[in-house]
Formats: sequence, structure tokens, C-alpha cells
Amino acid sequence: MKRRELFKAVAAAGVLAAPNLARAQGSKVLRFVPQANLSSMDAVAGTQYVVRNAALLVWDMLYGVNAQLEPQPQMCEGHEVDADFKTWTFRLRPGLKFHDGAPVLSRDCIASLKRWMVRDTMGQLIAGRMDALEAIDDRSFRFRLNKPFPKLLFALGKNNAPTALMMPERIASTDPFQLISEYVGSGPMKFNKSEWVPGATAVFEKFADYPVRPEPADWLAGGKRMLLDRIEWVIMDPATAGGALQNGEVDWWETPLPDLVPLLKSNANIAVDIADPLGNIGSLRMNHLQPPFNDVRARRALLMGLSQQDYMQAVVGENPGLWRPLPSFFTPGTPVYSEDGGDILKGPRNYEAAKKLLSEAGVLGAKVTLLVATDVPITKAEGEVTQDLLTKLGFDVDYVATDWGTVGARRAKKDPPSQGGWNIFHTWHAGSDCVNPAPYTALDCGGDKAWFGWPNSPKVEACIADWYAAPDLAAEKQAIAAINRASFEVVTYGPTGFFQMYQAWRKNISGVVKAPFPVFWGVQKS
Amino acid sequence: MYAYAARRILSTIPVMAVVALFVFSLLYIAPGDPAAIIAGDQATPADVDRIRASLGLDRPFIVRFGEWVWHILNGDLGQSIFTNLPVSHMIAQRIEPTLSLMVLTLILSIAIAVPAGVLAAWKHGTWIDRLVMIMAVAGFSVPVFVVGYLLAYTFALQLDVLPVQGYTPIADGIGPWLRHLVLPAVTLGSAFIALIARITRATMLEVLNQDYVRTAKSKGVDQRSILFVHALKNAAVPIVTVIGLGVAGLIGGAVVTESVFAIPGVGRLVVDAILRRDYPVIQGVVLLFSFVYVLVNLGVDLLYTVFDPRIRY
Amino acid sequence: MSITTGLPFAPAAAPELADVLPPRKRRGRVAMFVYRHPTIAAGGLLLTIIVAIAIFAPMLGTMDPTALAPARRTRAPNAQYWFGTDMLGRDVYSRVLYGARVSLIVGFSVAFCSAIAGMFIGLVSGFVRWMDAVVMRIMDGVMSIPSILLAIALMALTRGSVQNVVIAITVAEVPRVSRLVRGVVLSLREQPYVEAAVASGTRAPKIILKHILPNTLAPLTVQATFICASAMITEAILSFIGAGTPPIIPSWGNIMAEGRALWQVKPYIVFFPAVFLSVTVLAVNLLGDGLRDALDPRLAKRI
Repeated sequence: MKRRELFKAVAAAGVLAAPNLARAQGSKVLRFVPQANLSSMDAVAGTQYVVRNAALLVWDMLYGVNAQLEPQPQMCEGHEVDADFKTWTFRLRPGLKFHDGAPVLSRDCIASLKRWMVRDTMGQLIAGRMDALEAIDDRSFRFRLNKPFPKLLFALGKNNAPTALMMPERIASTDPFQLISEYVGSGPMKFNKSEWVPGATAVFEKFADYPVRPEPADWLAGGKRMLLDRIEWVIMDPATAGGALQNGEVDWWETPLPDLVPLLKSNANIAVDIADPLGNIGSLRMNHLQPPFNDVRARRALLMGLSQQDYMQAVVGENPGLWRPLPSFFTPGTPVYSEDGGDILKGPRNYEAAKKLLSEAGVLGAKVTLLVATDVPITKAEGEVTQDLLTKLGFDVDYVATDWGTVGARRAKKDPPSQGGWNIFHTWHAGSDCVNPAPYTALDCGGDKAWFGWPNSPKVEACIADWYAAPDLAAEKQAIAAINRASFEVVTYGPTGFFQMYQAWRKNISGVVKAPFPVFWGVQKS
Repeated sequence: MYAYAARRILSTIPVMAVVALFVFSLLYIAPGDPAAIIAGDQATPADVDRIRASLGLDRPFIVRFGEWVWHILNGDLGQSIFTNLPVSHMIAQRIEPTLSLMVLTLILSIAIAVPAGVLAAWKHGTWIDRLVMIMAVAGFSVPVFVVGYLLAYTFALQLDVLPVQGYTPIADGIGPWLRHLVLPAVTLGSAFIALIARITRATMLEVLNQDYVRTAKSKGVDQRSILFVHALKNAAVPIVTVIGLGVAGLIGGAVVTESVFAIPGVGRLVVDAILRRDYPVIQGVVLLFSFVYVLVNLGVDLLYTVFDPRIRY
Repeated sequence: MSITTGLPFAPAAAPELADVLPPRKRRGRVAMFVYRHPTIAAGGLLLTIIVAIAIFAPMLGTMDPTALAPARRTRAPNAQYWFGTDMLGRDVYSRVLYGARVSLIVGFSVAFCSAIAGMFIGLVSGFVRWMDAVVMRIMDGVMSIPSILLAIALMALTRGSVQNVVIAITVAEVPRVSRLVRGVVLSLREQPYVEAAVASGTRAPKIILKHILPNTLAPLTVQATFICASAMITEAILSFIGAGTPPIIPSWGNIMAEGRALWQVKPYIVFFPAVFLSVTVLAVNLLGDGLRDALDPRLAKRI
């Protein structure tokens, strides 16, 4: 009997040690760990980065920005524009197809653009000066504007959500405030809805009929050539993801924790690199409608106490190469970057002066409702530092620990915190979205119409309008400096610093590029 | 016996009714407005009211409860607030990993714990007995996620013999399926093994002290046959009962284990849903797990009549 | 997870000889007690140490457990930070010591509240016949919801706070306690002296107070001990999955939840709270086992 048991144990061990066949045959299957759970696929009605990243695989765009953020033709063959930037005519490439086999026609693009214009800040600018958006034939259509809009191509090709993705007309006619529920795309990968397990996996499969452009791929521009048959997004927490990457169970991790990077680097099979040189800007977002931060003095006091070093070390760790102080609202290292007006964030922090200002404003010791998304490492770290800062400034902090989805819903409420509203939440903006005001939703100070927090400053709005009208780089620079100064005056939000994140992948993956979003085209697995 | 079985089966109906009422009213009084969440960032109050009416959220409690129960009886658990997918579909997608994990844990736990408990009782008072008891108390006291990370660190990362995470459907082969489930099952089983080992030891001690066992011993019946045929059969009722009741603990533990090992099961679904306040999903999962638990214990009670025909109730 | 709680059968440790014989007078009473009840002694001693640590945390070389210092984050244990520092530079030693307070408060409060509530429900249901069926059906229903799942669902309804955690876990534990108390009441009702009291017209509250209540105390104490242990683990699980006490409160579950992302590179952040939690739960479980054997050998067979 004992011998028989032993035999059984050996047999069982043999079963366990057998190589995973499914894994062996998957050289064209990429397993990717995204930054967060993919809960929807609508990058027009929603602005989450993770949704945008998935949508970019499934839907193509008329234009696409390259690494220099210059829009290049993608689905369009080209365009014609009159001298005063009012009449824009576009012509689609021949042979474009949706994933259901139907050809991409002008009316699909028009419907897609109309839905996008309702939700996007630049789209709204276009809509506000548009006389008509009309089809000429099945492959051509035309914008007729009554005021010039030179940045139209950038608006169509920008990478930040809401993104101008081209969908079939029937999907694009969904209410812009409702999520789409059919995912027939125009991009290089098809979304496999039946294998989608929200919170766990999302599967993309190669679309064989995608017409690849001949140019080399460059971010959203050029030929989106898929060298993979199947991309599996697996959602897992950072602790598990670290182990899975080391064990070769996943191929690519979008946002490895900075603390795990030394461990990953020590593994000969793993490559680690900065994900995006344009980095990110951390944001402490205040509600300008509700006390105490409806008073600009309270907002300024917060900036006087805000230590970017604390925030950045909490977010990215001690590696000084990964972050830098940012007395600005704009991405450092870009042509128009300005620190004008940012002195309040420089030098040693002065809590006493801040408290004095708070007591002048009559809000010393006021109650502050702080929303913290604890499921996202970056916002969790920012939230805990803010909790510490608010306590130091004598506020009575109501720390609401919740998840990113709930923060997303609750931040839209303008009610007082006691009725489900809020005072502070945290997020971050990709550096590529903060190079200038065009893609920079969070900079807008249009009051009720502005992004969550609803900052209101006609002065900032005027400066932004100046930038749009700027004829050359010097004028743009001047306008940006004025925006920065005005934004610090009104304290649109609290920049918590500039930081870079890593990405990590197994070395049998090649073709990974640096970008503010994962670029899957050109990526190969051996 | 059939009358007993029928009565026992009928008795689950009021229990399930109470569960349904409890689960429904829990989430009925939930703060937060699903309509406002669905309406999204930029909706007007009128939009929210329209959505609320279209969801039927403005009707009285009893009407909504009745309708809810009616839908459940028709297999409709409602729609997730966040993904807009039917809850029954989301659960169906994730039920296989959870069931696999729980069944494997159950088998593994029984396979380890019952012999250990029998051995401890047989060697009562020796170091073997003490060792088993120490392991059992320790199994209770170490939180399940600590066990999970320890095992993952040792077997997956240091020794590199098993995967760290994930799940492979059983359809892809029994080997990969088992490989992915071994560590989670041991993790989840740690407390369960302790529980079963203790109860087995205790009831075996009691049975071994009874006259007929002593008689059998004195007649020189083979030790092994005494232990496993005579004694264990008589100790089976309490052991099976504890296994049935312990399934509640397994369900709770599965929620954590699935998170630790990134297994796409129902447990992780409910954790995600709770952080997002996705109430229809929470309702569905709690109801499902409660139903499973009630069924398991119904099965256990019916098993009694097999193990111990004297039981008639 | 002390799943033993509330099971109809529990380990029936054979009563030790020492439990049965009357205590003989000896000089070393402490030694005698330890000899007779080694598990109570060991569990009690461990628990006393941990309670003392919790109470005297401010005097044990700790600093503010919530003070951030990102500049000194993730330090390995050293002479200055005995258990190292976490991702925000907080001192893990201080957090673990202060964390003992949260775990103990949750454990004791849940044990106390569910014992009181369960006793009340159990007494009423055992004594008031017409309510029995209804109350017990409700309890059966609530018991059919796996308790961690029930606690998680309750936490989804409210904000994370120590108080809400206590309430959520208590609700999940009450049915088992009330079943236990009801069982004791039902068996006592059949006792001749209780029947005699009823026949002689003694009022129900007096019977409960005089005859029933004292007899429920022993099993209730034992049960409460196990509930205490399981509540501490449940609290840790709730915090671990992000549905427990708010992260700014240094509870063991929270410290582990924060450290778990780094368990591979900074294992000490998880290690120390895990050891403390395990030892505390172990102490309470030992105490419970010992109490059960000592207070009521019969009970050992019946629970």
C-alpha cells in the first residue's frame, strides 16, 4: 500500500510539473497588466486613461498625434483647408472597414465627431463656431466654421480623452452621456466582448482587414501594424503583478510600483524603463464652490503648506531622478513651459503663515471632506500626504476612503460635502495633456462648465483665449506665462509635482516604446 | 426517511426567503443613488429623475421586493451599475474558478485533516497528538492572506515550481488547472484543515472510549480496521456537520484568496463591487453564496441518514 | 478563522483528571493553576502582555504612528526604527503597537456586543414561545449568509470606521450566540427546579434572572472568547480588502494591506503586524479552549 501511495504521489507530481501547453503555444499572445480595471470601453463619454488606452486599440482616428504631438493623417488620406481656417475638407482612405465588415463612410465619421464634440472641451469650441458638418460623398466630408480654428487637426488627433474615435453611425448615435454598449471598432484590434470579465480580463484579437498605413508607426500616427494575434489584459493588484511578471506569467506591466523596480531590474529576463518622458503632474483638486475652499485665501494657504517633496517621495519613492518640483501647471521640458507666478510652491513650507491666512479667511479648523481612491497607489499616497498636511494646518479632516470609480462619480457632485459632495480629491494628469491649454481640461476656469472643482476665473479664460489666438511661439510663450500666473492667483488646483512612472516587460517582448499610453502596434513576442 | 428528506428540503424555503428579504433590504437602505451614478458626470437633476423612474427606483419597497424576487426566480439578477452587464452573466463568467477552488480545497482539506485527526486521537497524549493540535490552533490563528503570501513567496518565487497567480480553465487540461489551484487551495484550506482535524480528533477520542470499540480491541480486531471502519464511521456525523458549516468560512476565505492569487472568481467580483458600491452585483453574489451554503448543509443533513440510519428526526 | 464558533460539535477534549478532582491545597497556587489549566495560563499571559502593550504603547518608545516622513520611507528594521518604516515613512513599530488597540477594541467590543444582543434574543426566544419560531427563522436566514460576506456587505452600506466595523461583525455573529443561549434556555426549562418555579407562579423575569441567566454565563463566556478571536481576523480581512477601518487608522489589517504590495521587497511591513495578529488570536483561542474545558466539561460536548 505504501508503495502504491508513493507511486500515486509521483504521478501527481508529474501532472503538476508538466509544462503549460497553453503558454508554450502563445508566442503571438501578449499578456498585459493595465494600470487599472477596465470597466467600460467608451473613451468619449468617460475620461479614464485606462479606458482610452483600450479604446485606442479598437477604434481608429481620422488623425493621430506622433511623439512630437503633431497630428498626422491616419484614417484620412488628407485634407484641404482654406486660408482662414474656416472650411476643412477631409477625404478618407480607400478600403477602411469596421470590424463587422461594413465600409467606413462619411456619415459614420460625422456621427462619431458629433458625439465627441458634445463631450470634449476642444470639440465644444468647434461646435460653438460650426455652421455645418456635412458629407460630400461616401468618402469625403466638410466642416464649415464661422470663425477660424487652426488647431482642428490636433483636436481630431489628440490622445487625451474624450478622443475622436471613429465608430459606426448606429453606435455613435448613442446619447453622449450614456456609455456605448456595442464595440464594433475601426482599429487594428477587435474587442472580444464574450471573453470580457470586468475586474479580471479583457481580450483583444487582431483585425485581419485593418488597412495598415505604409509609414512607420509613431504613437498614434503611422502604420499600426499588429504583430500579435491576441492581447489579453489581466487585472491584478501590484503585489500579484510583480510576482507574475517575474514568473513569466504576464509579459508587460504598464505601471510597476517604483518600490518593486529594483527587484524587477535584478531579474535578467525583465526590462524596465521610463514609460513616458513627458511624465505626469500630480493634482490636488479643490472644490471652488464649497467652503472652505471657495475662498481663494484658503486655497492659497494650502499651497503655502504643500510640500511637493513629500508628495513625490510618497508617490515614486526616493529615486530623485524620477521626480522634480513643479512650480507650474505645465509639463517641464516642453517649449512653452513657464514657472511664472509659481513662487508660492518654492522654498521651505510655512505652516504658521498658512494658518494665519486661514484665520483671516475665518476658516481655521474648518471641516474638510477628502476623497481618497485607495485602490490606485498614486492617489492613495497623495491622499495620505494631504491628510497629514490638512491636519498640520488645523483642519478637521473627514477622510473618505473609497475606490477610483466612486471618486469618479462623487467628484461630479456640486452639493455641500454633507450632502454627498466633496472638498478635495486627487488625480494626476499625463504630461502630454499639459503641454498647452488645448488638451488640458483641468486647466479650464470656466466656472460651472469647468472640470470638477469648477474653478472660475475670467482672467485665466482670457489668457487661454490669447493662447489660442497666438500667431507664433513667442506669443504662445507669453500667453502660457500669463495663464500660469493667473492660475496660481486663483489656485485652479494644487500641483503636487512632476513625476515619471516606469513600465516593465519581459525581454522576449520587443518594440515597446515610450508614450503616455501603451503602444501595442510594432510590439513582438518571441 | 423520505418524509424527513421532504421536510428538510421544504425547511430551506423560509430560510431562503429571509435571506432574500435581508439582502434586499440591506441594499434598499444603501446610501448613494444608483440613478445618479448611472447618469454620470454631467447629468442634470431631470436626467437623474428620468433614469430613476426608468429603473423603477421610485416605487414602494414591497413592490420592488416582489418584482426583484420574481426576476430572481426567472434567473434575472439585474444589471451591474458599472459595467451594464447582467449580473447573472457576470457571475456565470466567474463561477468556474470559484467552484474549482472550493471543491479542490474541500477535497484537499478532508484528505489531510481527517487522517491527521484520526492519528492524533489514536496516539492521544503523545507528541504526534500535540503536534496536530498545535498545527490546528496555528491554522486558526494565522490570517488567510498571510498564509497565501508565504506560500506564494516560497513555492512560486523562490522554488519556482508553481504559478504565482491566475487560473486556467479545466477545459485547457487538468494539469495546468491543478497547478494554478494548488497554492490557493492550501491557503484557503489552512483554517479549514485545522477545524476538521480538531473535530475529527475530538469525536474519535469519544468514540474510541466507547464500549464496543474496547470490545473490538480486546477481541484483537486489526487496529486499522477499528480506526477507519468502526470508529470513523461512527464519528462521521459530527465531522460531516462541521464540514458543512465550515463551508461558510471557505466562502469568506475564498474572497480573500482570490484577491491574493488574482483568480478571476466570484469572490473578487464581490470585492470589486463593494468598493464601487455596485449593489446589484453585491446582492447577486451574497444571494448565490447563501444559496450554495444552504444547499450544502441540506445535503449534509440528508447524508446523515446514510451515515447513521438510526437518525430519523 | 475560528470557524469553531457556534458549531454544534466542538472538540470534546476529555476532561483532565485535574478538572474532575477537587483542588488539593498546595503552597504554590499559581503553579497549581498553571499545572491544571496550562492553556488558560498560556493564553491569559500572552493576552495580558498584548493588552499591556496596547495600553502602554505611548510609553514603549513609540512615536506618532500617523506622522508621515516620506524622506525616510521603507527603511529596513534598524536601531532607530525597530520594525522599519512603511511607504510613507511612518514607524512600523509604533503603528503595530498602536494597532493592538484597534484589534483588541474590535475583538472585545464585538464579543461583548454580540454576547449581550445574542443573550437577549436567545432568552426571549427561548422563553416566549410564540416568538421563538419567527425569531429563529430570521436567525437561520442571517446565519445562512456567510459571515465575512455579510460583514463586507454591511460595510458597503456605510463609511469605514472602527464603530461600523464592530457593528458589521456583531450583526454577523449574533445569530450563533442567540442560538446557543436559546438552546441552553430550552434545556433548562425542562429542569425540575425551573418547572417548579414556573408552577409556583414565579414571574418570568425573576426566573430568567435567578435560574437561567447564571447558567448561560459559562457557555456564553466561552463563545464570546472565540468570537473575539474571529472578530479580530475578520477586521484584518475587511481592512485587507479595503472595506474596513479607514487606512489612516493604524490597525494591523491596514498595515498589512499597505505593506502587501511590497511583500516581496519589504516583507517586514507585513511580517510584524501578521505575527502580532496571529499571536493575539492564538492567545484568545487558547484562552477559549482552556475556559471551555475548565468552566463546563459538559459544554465541550454540547456546543
